[in-house]
Amino acid sequence: MVDGDYRLDEFFQRYRAACPDVEPTPNFMPILWERIEGRRGFAFTFERMARPAMTIFAALCLLLLVLNVAGTGQGSVAPPTYTDALAADSTAEKTDYTEAIWNNPTSFQAPQELRAQHR
Amino acid sequence: MLIEQELIERARTGDPQAFNQVVLAYRKRILGTISRLIGRPEDVEDVAQEVFVRLYYSLDQLRTAEVFEPWLYRLTVNASYDYLRRVKRRSESRMADLSEQQVMMADSIAGGRQEDEERQKGKTREFMDALFRHVSDEDRLLLTLKEVEGLSLKELEQIYGAKENALKVRLFRARQRVLKAYEAAKADGRL
Repeated sequence: MVDGDYRLDEFFQRYRAACPDVEPTPNFMPILWERIEGRRGFAFTFERMARPAMTIFAALCLLLLVLNVAGTGQGSVAPPTYTDALAADSTAEKTDYTEAIWNNPTSFQAPQELRAQHR
Repeated sequence: MLIEQELIERARTGDPQAFNQVVLAYRKRILGTISRLIGRPEDVEDVAQEVFVRLYYSLDQLRTAEVFEPWLYRLTVNASYDYLRRVKRRSESRMADLSEQQVMMADSIAGGRQEDEERQKGKTREFMDALFRHVSDEDRLLLTLKEVEGLSLKELEQIYGAKENALKVRLFRARQRVLKAYEAAKADGRL
């Protein structure tokens, strides 16, 4: 393995020599600046779009907040009673379900064995 | 350091002339490093430009000018790693699956014949590429920086921001894998 290590080191050196020192082409700098500007262009476009979007969202949030507060304010003028709240909560679905239970008296009966034990 | 710290400071403030000077001072070194890291001369310039674009947009994050070189190396390693991932030319091939061309190339390297020098170098690069398929891209880069570029563990510590012992372990394992592949190639008479 020591011999292998030595040979591998040698091979690494050969690889180093095989990788040439690349000379930059005359276009290196112009292309580099093009790429920098290109990326800056994207960054600027994003920033330009992001700023108005943020303003619009902030305004929208403010508007919703105002509407919410106004809505709550109106409610506080005539606070709903407990029965009003219950009535408002009884949706059509709940009503159907409740009615179905009340119309089926067997659903309230305990199993026969339990009734016998109870007697 | 190839340049004055003051120049880096000026580049950090957005002075394009200063940045130009920084690039001119370092580009040859970075091109050479990338050439050895990725082993494909045709794409070296493209990766180097990516490094300098990243440098341009990240200079303001540099804490002090003193750590400029490790910072630049880190950008170089990251861009090379991204390149290797993007190309993903590597297959799951093992040494046994090396193409006929690669086997011939290995033979000619071993024989040390006086062939065309450039062709020989190309073959050496290809063979090293085949050996590097036995380690991850990260380890390939680490191993190249240490064994080919000749960076010290201290320098690697600065570039990777990792502890020396962790780097030693990682290097040892990567080297063992490459060595195993190298020995296998030798045993098969391909090297």
